[in-house]
Amino acid sequence: MKAAFPAAALFATLAMLVSGCGGSSPKKPVAAAPVKPAKPHCAYPAGWTALANRIHAPVYCPAWLPDPLTDQLKGPWNNINSVSKDRSYLESFVWQDTDLGGTSGELHVNLRGYPGRTTIPGCTTGGVDSQNVPCFADPHGTITESGIKATLFTVNQDADQWHLLLAWRHQGGLYTVSEHLAPPLDYNHVIRYLKLELRNLVLIKPSPAT
Amino acid sequence: MKLTRREVLVGAAAGAVGASGIYELVDKLAGATPVRAATGAKPPEQHLLNGVRTVRDNGVEVLVPPLHHEIVTARVAVDRSDLRDAQTTLEQALGKLDDEYAASPAGLGVTLAWGLPYFTRYVPAASARHLPKDRRAGGSALLPARRFQSDPAGTVLESNDVAILIRSDTRQHIDDAIGRIEATKVFHITSLRRGFAGGGFDGKRSLPKQMALAVNLPGAELIPETSELFLGFTSTQKAGMGPGEIANFETLGIVDLRGSDYFRRGTHMHLSHVTEDLEAWYINFDFQQRVDSAFRPNLRVRPNAQTVHQGPKDVSTEADVLRDYHQSGAIGHSAALQTTTRLQKDTVGPDGTHYPKGSAIPIRADFNTLDNPFYWSEKPSEIGSSPMAGIHFIVFNPSSDDFHRNREAMDGILPGDVKITFPPRDRNQGLNSILRTTHRQNYLVPPRVHRSFPLAEL
Repeated sequence: MKAAFPAAALFATLAMLVSGCGGSSPKKPVAAAPVKPAKPHCAYPAGWTALANRIHAPVYCPAWLPDPLTDQLKGPWNNINSVSKDRSYLESFVWQDTDLGGTSGELHVNLRGYPGRTTIPGCTTGGVDSQNVPCFADPHGTITESGIKATLFTVNQDADQWHLLLAWRHQGGLYTVSEHLAPPLDYNHVIRYLKLELRNLVLIKPSPAT
Repeated sequence: MKLTRREVLVGAAAGAVGASGIYELVDKLAGATPVRAATGAKPPEQHLLNGVRTVRDNGVEVLVPPLHHEIVTARVAVDRSDLRDAQTTLEQALGKLDDEYAASPAGLGVTLAWGLPYFTRYVPAASARHLPKDRRAGGSALLPARRFQSDPAGTVLESNDVAILIRSDTRQHIDDAIGRIEATKVFHITSLRRGFAGGGFDGKRSLPKQMALAVNLPGAELIPETSELFLGFTSTQKAGMGPGEIANFETLGIVDLRGSDYFRRGTHMHLSHVTEDLEAWYINFDFQQRVDSAFRPNLRVRPNAQTVHQGPKDVSTEADVLRDYHQSGAIGHSAALQTTTRLQKDTVGPDGTHYPKGSAIPIRADFNTLDNPFYWSEKPSEIGSSPMAGIHFIVFNPSSDDFHRNREAMDGILPGDVKITFPPRDRNQGLNSILRTTHRQNYLVPPRVHRSFPLAEL
């Protein structure tokens, strides 16, 4: 199990990158119509709709997460499902490899939303000499996928510490998706995964009844 | 805390290339040998290079280091009775190198530094009479290496007879020098340590960045494109390097040559290997925090600047370091070091040279490496199969004690019994949290005229 998940995840991603991103195989018929990428599909929308209703703002369901993670809130990999008083939310999905007694591998994706604010929130560094710092810092350009132009931040705090993070604004709110830079992933793999995650976000709006 | 359980991850590319094969990339990546000024006669000091180019970066004068570096450590391979012959043989080989190459980055810099084991085993009587004394420390200018507060318990204190620093912009020059020194058969090589620096001052992607990417070092993508070293900042500001002969034994009066000119124009060299956790540096410290850690807390510089002013006016005193600490809970690497590495008053050297207050004393010659920890070693445990980011740290000071004072300042132990206490490798202790020292040793660098088996003829 230890090696199977990461390897499977990496190969699956590579396969997706090669076959699913507009790349064309030379064996395909020349006259074939271009295939549109399938529309992202949130596998477990009920939980995300409930979240949107709870915060009275749109949320993003990650239709693609690295295997074995799924988008199921309160599912086996959703270790944090949190809404704060200011309606901001954190949904964390984590898989850890503990075969060797410690944590030798980890896939960890966080999604956040801050309805009603577009500025970067403040965090504290913790400890006796705690300092106030921006939660997301050191911007490294932008990535655009599926109409979302997100800024890449490389120095992040709290649950996003040691994550690479994409942040963007939508309807007066700030949203983020981040992924832990840790084995079995290196920097470039995390960037590839973040692009896939950004590309496959599904916007879930509060249901009209709420 | 993810930092504490973090281990260096080396990617598949690095594993495939392997630690020993990576330097084949260096020459390919370095490109054409840079143009250097013509140089004149060789200086009497072994540790000084002629023809070092100066450029301006971010309004700061910067010395351009040689691109390629190698250190050979060795034991003496001859008996005491054959020492004079060995001295002649080695000097002949070195003299030919002198004849064929300028003592400059464009040519070849060869610096022989001798360890305490050599002096005590091979020339004990002459050493007792001639080794310089440190007036401040009240003992020898050459002391055994020691561990410092922020060093891991496992830091190896080495006992090589000799370390030979070889520098050039052209890798083949270094290979030629090593081949000729090895052919003398006077040394049994104990380790080879390789590395590189610079290459980005003309706006091109620097050698450290290229090498880090080539072997897929964790954090490589976040190194600034033109960075002189892995950590993203220039370290060879002209004002931050000891000028001219300031690090010579005889210059500042720290060292007593004991009525002999034998070691005049010599100096002291510290050699260590330090690993650098690049990913932790770039993922856990934003740019301002990296500036705070590398230089001083709350120092304002241009966004993403790599070269920062380090002139006499920028020097921190103990009071400055303490004030920064009380305000921010942190000390900066350069600021803390400057309390011991900079002249506290105007000083005139024995040759009449005026060294103004705030001048740097140490002359650093450090360079980045992918050795883990060494390129080759007689101990198989010292040759890692995967590349690792690090630095072979080399610095010329007037004495071991002077270096030790500098290194203690880096840990917050300042002059005047001022101690700023941190846990080992605390995040607020400058760069220490991302550094791990694996090996240390102190050496004595004789003047060029006595570089080959010093004191053997006496």
